[in-house]
Amino acid sequence: MFFYIENLTAKKNLLPRLLLILGLAILLSVEGFLGWQLHTLSSRQEQIKSDYSDVNSITLGLLSVNNWQDKVFGMVNQQVKHFKLSPKEKQELQVEVEQVLYALIDKAEAMVNKPQKSLGAKLKQLVVKSFVKTDKITAQVPAFARSIIAKVDNPKQKAQLSTMAMSKFNEARHSAAIDSTMHANQSLTDKMFRKYSVSSLDALGKKQTALLENIRMETFVYCFGMLSCVLAVLACWWFLRKRVELHGTLFVMSLLFAFILLAVGLTASMIEVDCRIGSLDFVLLGQHVVFQNQVLFYESKSIMGVVKVLFQQPAADSIAVGALILCFSILFPVTKLIATGVHLLSNRKIAENRVIKFFAFQSGKWSMADVIVIAILMTYIGLNGLLNNQLAALNIKSSSLTLITTNNTALQPGYIVFISFVLYGLILSTILKAITPYDAH
Amino acid sequence: MRTKLHNLLLIVGLSILLAGAAYFGYREHKLVKEQQVIKQDYSLVNSITFGLFSIDTWRDRLSDVMNDRINGYSITPQQKKDIQAAVEKELHTMVAKVIKEIDKPQKSITGKVKKIAFHVLADSDSLQAQVRTFAKTIVRKVSSPSSQARLKDIASSKMNELEGQTFDQTSEANEQVTKYIYRKYQVQDSAGFEKTVNQRLEAIWVLTIKNTVFMLACVLTALLLWVAMRKQVHLRTTLFVMAVLFAGVVLVVGLTSPVIEVDARVKSVDFILLGEHVTFQNQVLFFQSKSISGIITTLLSQQKLEAITVGMLILLFIVLLPFIRLAAKGAHMFYKNNKVINYLAFEASKWDMADVMIVGMLMTYIGLNGILKSQLANLNIHTAILTTHTVNYTSLQPGYFIFMGYVIFELVLSYLLRRMAPAFVKPKRYRNIKRAEK
Repeated sequence: MFFYIENLTAKKNLLPRLLLILGLAILLSVEGFLGWQLHTLSSRQEQIKSDYSDVNSITLGLLSVNNWQDKVFGMVNQQVKHFKLSPKEKQELQVEVEQVLYALIDKAEAMVNKPQKSLGAKLKQLVVKSFVKTDKITAQVPAFARSIIAKVDNPKQKAQLSTMAMSKFNEARHSAAIDSTMHANQSLTDKMFRKYSVSSLDALGKKQTALLENIRMETFVYCFGMLSCVLAVLACWWFLRKRVELHGTLFVMSLLFAFILLAVGLTASMIEVDCRIGSLDFVLLGQHVVFQNQVLFYESKSIMGVVKVLFQQPAADSIAVGALILCFSILFPVTKLIATGVHLLSNRKIAENRVIKFFAFQSGKWSMADVIVIAILMTYIGLNGLLNNQLAALNIKSSSLTLITTNNTALQPGYIVFISFVLYGLILSTILKAITPYDAH
Repeated sequence: MRTKLHNLLLIVGLSILLAGAAYFGYREHKLVKEQQVIKQDYSLVNSITFGLFSIDTWRDRLSDVMNDRINGYSITPQQKKDIQAAVEKELHTMVAKVIKEIDKPQKSITGKVKKIAFHVLADSDSLQAQVRTFAKTIVRKVSSPSSQARLKDIASSKMNELEGQTFDQTSEANEQVTKYIYRKYQVQDSAGFEKTVNQRLEAIWVLTIKNTVFMLACVLTALLLWVAMRKQVHLRTTLFVMAVLFAGVVLVVGLTSPVIEVDARVKSVDFILLGEHVTFQNQVLFFQSKSISGIITTLLSQQKLEAITVGMLILLFIVLLPFIRLAAKGAHMFYKNNKVINYLAFEASKWDMADVMIVGMLMTYIGLNGILKSQLANLNIHTAILTTHTVNYTSLQPGYFIFMGYVIFELVLSYLLRRMAPAFVKPKRYRNIKRAEK
């Protein structure tokens, strides 16, 4: 390393070189600090978002017994208390009851009219016949049937029935299984409330939104700061383009900047996939049931996270893709950065080695493969407005339909930093090509 | 003179081939677009929003089952027996209650007379003995066909009432969608639609393959011509420029045809309710089909800065640069010493990312396919009452292979150009160093 630098350096160049190193070292530490901040912010944001999706998860909403209890309570209440027979139904029921009553009277009459043998029985028959007039009883049947039906339809009776049903329902409500899930849900929300020191779900949502907005602004600032550092380095190159003796030092310092970009780009979260059911809105047995923002699935992944997911798939092809991403995002860039350094600082024989040359000059664009993969994934998974667009084209309001939406899927700062790294790396290798004394092809 | 004639003949011949390639490419593009639209329509009609996620649909399916149950209902002998027992029990308690009431010590004279009269006329044992015959009468009456019909009427009118209280907004939207689609495809019902769609997709598939083959045949013929005439130095320029035009045609078709289609469906959900099957068929969970240009427009039309940035980068590296480089290669034939043209033609390959795009798309396809497969496999349930079957029709589309064709073509062109003009490949400074060494 010193071989090359000493070669180029005369004594009078020592001071500018030291100044350059010092200046860039300060800038480097600023970039490192910003990168560290960005990294922490990104994990904090991930934390808040995953808390948010935990609280709004479908298991605590649509699939929670808790939420359905009140609704089922309302349904049972409505169905029992407001149970009402329509006039037509009443009439049919009346006919039914009348028929049964007539049949019974007929039967009784037949029994009474049966020829009796014993004197006592005959006497009894005579008495009954003379006192009980079947015609009279038959005439009373409709009124009697009406009063039976009225009894069934009586509000008091219904209230009683509904209380009975409710007490049964309450019993079921306190079964062990339901209690345990309720308890788990309750403890989760309580934990969240304590964590964000709020007392209601609304306040929690508001607080989280506010926090996220803050983080977004800060992230933007830090991201911008890091990019400015890199731009400053490139500006240095422009100003020092004539000072050939400083190029070696500047290049090695530039590589260090690239390493920081790479480290942040790899570890900060890159893409965030958020899949939810926007709204469920329906009327079930007369009860209006509304669930909003049911989060089915939330993941925030850095490149390393994506690689890990792919490696966990059972199929060999997914693992191969994981290996490729690993290759393009870590092995290639690191090798590339080292190779550019080696190419510049070592003797001709090593510098013109085919492998070194490939990595120093040709490998940079392959890191773009990861950028492309994430971009395509984003358009396919994240921005699926297809159904919405089709419905909108037909003038159908989609807000009241149950749709799976992934509109909250978003690219994250890690992605921007990684793209910056790839572009910066490409520019560096172009610069290297211009300043190298060796064959670059 | 001869050179000129040869050149003219070559240009005419190749132009015809080029026109052929462009025509087939255009047809191909039209076909795959049509296929995309048909598949999008299909996924709209069969969307899970109008099926499994629709309360209206569920209500209809369930009420069918319930109505079947109610209409097909008849009282079995066993149930008759049970009812009989219940009625008897009820009557026994009733009789006992009445007797107890009468047996109460009576104060008034009429009460006392009644009591005596009752005991003369009836005794509790014989009354209880008659309960059975009365119960039988009641049960016979209730289970008579006319009675059952009446009760069924009441039950189904109650069912209808409950149905009326259960709904969401889907049926209206669904009706609108199906009306629109059926009119568009001129079919009457879903079976007809399915048939038409399948027929058309099949026809398109055959035609697409045909067109792709024809287009590639044109390109290959041009390449073969080149190989045959590689010794004819005077024709080189014409051949190369024509080849660049061919590459341009392939690139345009590759950029605008769909590359990856993601199609995740619940093929069937079948569960058994009250002994009857309730089934949902072909529920489209997720459908997307995009070309490279589609991907870029989607990214550029976002509100978010990062998405727009990425869209611009992809547009620059995968669409604009390849075109510019192709143009530069062609231009190099005429302007040998233009610095910019030479840089673009020979040096800019580092920035031209069409080849990276090929690898990136393949990686996306495999990764997405793998994740979808394993996620959908989790939804496959096989139990006695519930069976679900999911399928994943994610696939690479013709656009991908055409774009790959372009990338290979471009590699060949670069190779040939470098062989034709080796002097331009090495940078000046390096050439100077070499020269100094000598």
